Amino acid sequence: MKEYAYFPGCSLEQIGLSYNQSSVETTKVLGVELKELEDWNCCGATTYFHVDELLAYTLCARNLAMAEKDSLDLVAPCSACYKNSYFTNKHLREDPDLADHINYALEEDDLSYSGQIEVKHLMEVFYCDVGLDEIRDKVKKPLEGLKVAPYYGCQILRPKKDDEDVEQAEFFEELMSAIGAEPVPYPLKLKCCGGSLLISNRIAALSMVRNLLQNAEDNNADVIATACPMCQVNLECYQPQVNQEFGTKFQVPVVYFTQLMGLALGIRGKKLGIGKEIVAATPLEPYTT
Amino acid sequence: MVKPSFSDEIANLLHASHGNPLITCIQCGTCSGTCPAVDYMDHTPRRIIGMIRANLKDEVLNSNTFWYCASCYHCTVRCPAQIDIAETMYALKRYSIWKRVHQEGLVGPTFSETFVKTILRSGRSFEPILATSYLFSAGVRELIQEGVTATKMMLKGRLPMLPPRIKRLDNFKRMVSRVIPLEAE
Amino acid sequence: MTEGKKLLIIDDDPDFVEGILAILEPAGYDVETAYNPKDGFDALESKHYDLLLLDIMMGRGAEGVMIARKMRKDPKLRQIPVLIITGIREQIAYLFPGGPVHPHFVDVDELVEKPVEPELLLDRVSALIEASEERKAEGS
Repeated sequence: MKEYAYFPGCSLEQIGLSYNQSSVETTKVLGVELKELEDWNCCGATTYFHVDELLAYTLCARNLAMAEKDSLDLVAPCSACYKNSYFTNKHLREDPDLADHINYALEEDDLSYSGQIEVKHLMEVFYCDVGLDEIRDKVKKPLEGLKVAPYYGCQILRPKKDDEDVEQAEFFEELMSAIGAEPVPYPLKLKCCGGSLLISNRIAALSMVRNLLQNAEDNNADVIATACPMCQVNLECYQPQVNQEFGTKFQVPVVYFTQLMGLALGIRGKKLGIGKEIVAATPLEPYTT
Repeated sequence: MVKPSFSDEIANLLHASHGNPLITCIQCGTCSGTCPAVDYMDHTPRRIIGMIRANLKDEVLNSNTFWYCASCYHCTVRCPAQIDIAETMYALKRYSIWKRVHQEGLVGPTFSETFVKTILRSGRSFEPILATSYLFSAGVRELIQEGVTATKMMLKGRLPMLPPRIKRLDNFKRMVSRVIPLEAE
Repeated sequence: MTEGKKLLIIDDDPDFVEGILAILEPAGYDVETAYNPKDGFDALESKHYDLLLLDIMMGRGAEGVMIARKMRKDPKLRQIPVLIITGIREQIAYLFPGGPVHPHFVDVDELVEKPVEPELLLDRVSALIEASEERKAEGS
């Protein structure tokens, strides 16, 4: 059984509760153990970088150090937590002065970090570590006929890491096909949802959400699947605001990819947090029983 | 030594950046064409880079461009000159916050401050507190919309009632004061 | 007394540096400037200085603290007296309203907050250089 240090992040405690539930349930079935970091702290989302990058690295390093203490790679289901942890890891490995300084701060919590672990997004664990074949083998109820718009968003892919293809990603589609669902073409799949602008520039964020919903509807998607709690909340919970602002009538269910995987693996909908939606996930009904 | 210009100042802020310096910009506009928030910016990203290079300090600081950056890094991965444009936007935010100069009426600076303050007090972020930084500038209609959404989410058990905090908070605060030499409250 | 004494300022604010130069140069000091932490540390490693005037908030964040710590680990650089001149409270005060600048965060000789009075600056600079020369004389 493969074990990881699990860093759920602040959003998964409440707003993204069903992402947390479905991540824990699906990994269990696939023989992956997520051991939650014992006293994890916020990754800082995007705002620490507005004030002090060294502070941003320090806070992410605290989580990395706790995972390293257990000799486990760190897994984050939230794209923002993932991106911040991943790049903190990279910078600390490449810049000894920075690492020395951050370690000086970590001493206050009896921790240290030496760059020994890897940081992964939860989707990467499914796609690379578990693998599509293994997933196909474990599928009990393929989601036949369900049209899914695979929404990548930003920070799962960007900034660019090593030789990754940041313009032509297909792993989300492949994962959806592996559980029997039908990924529809979704040309805006890499466009930002505006999550970080929701408070600072509401109208810009709402218009970005509108474009994504429209694009999913134009391609006859039954649901949009996301791999980030910020994207999910922004795309789902702000549909009433989008409709009011732009005179549209969107009712597009937005679910986590782990919820879809869970259904296909035969887990009951309730255990995956299905039912907590503001836009009811009715297209999933045939698969939840 | 000659006194550094505004563009030198920004280059100095970016001294450890992993992209190329702004001087290598060819003004192709790929960043502006890629940016999802460009319609709401008073200057496009391409133009802001041009303005920095022309040392138009007051105009740059007075623009909303960098505060409306969504941190999606689409410009960064596409820049043919390998400039880390999103990182440049962060640098401009730092410059603006440290100098206490920004366009009036922007929510972004207040939001950043509230967010960072919340985390430094508790180790965790807490959505309901964060929303307060937004309320000052919102209109009645937006407030009602937010209220309706919040109520629905509350009913679904998706909004927290109490702010979370980490356990080793004292260690955490001492750790922070080793990188930011200010004593916490 | 001040003749021939060589000082380095590492500070990212060109206006502030200009003001400091206008105080120190007429007093006879030979002052060099670096406007980012990297150039500053390179200068420290390649030349000799009698005193360092160091800002805190630069580049990615509180990089002045990083420089001061790194100097204290270097047997040669640790001899140089360090005077921190910072506006950190002004710059990010909202994070810790009313909080003082942490006095013991790092081993520097002295810390003063911006804006700094010319007399005070000249007084501190000469006192720190004198104290460091006494230390050297005792050591030899």
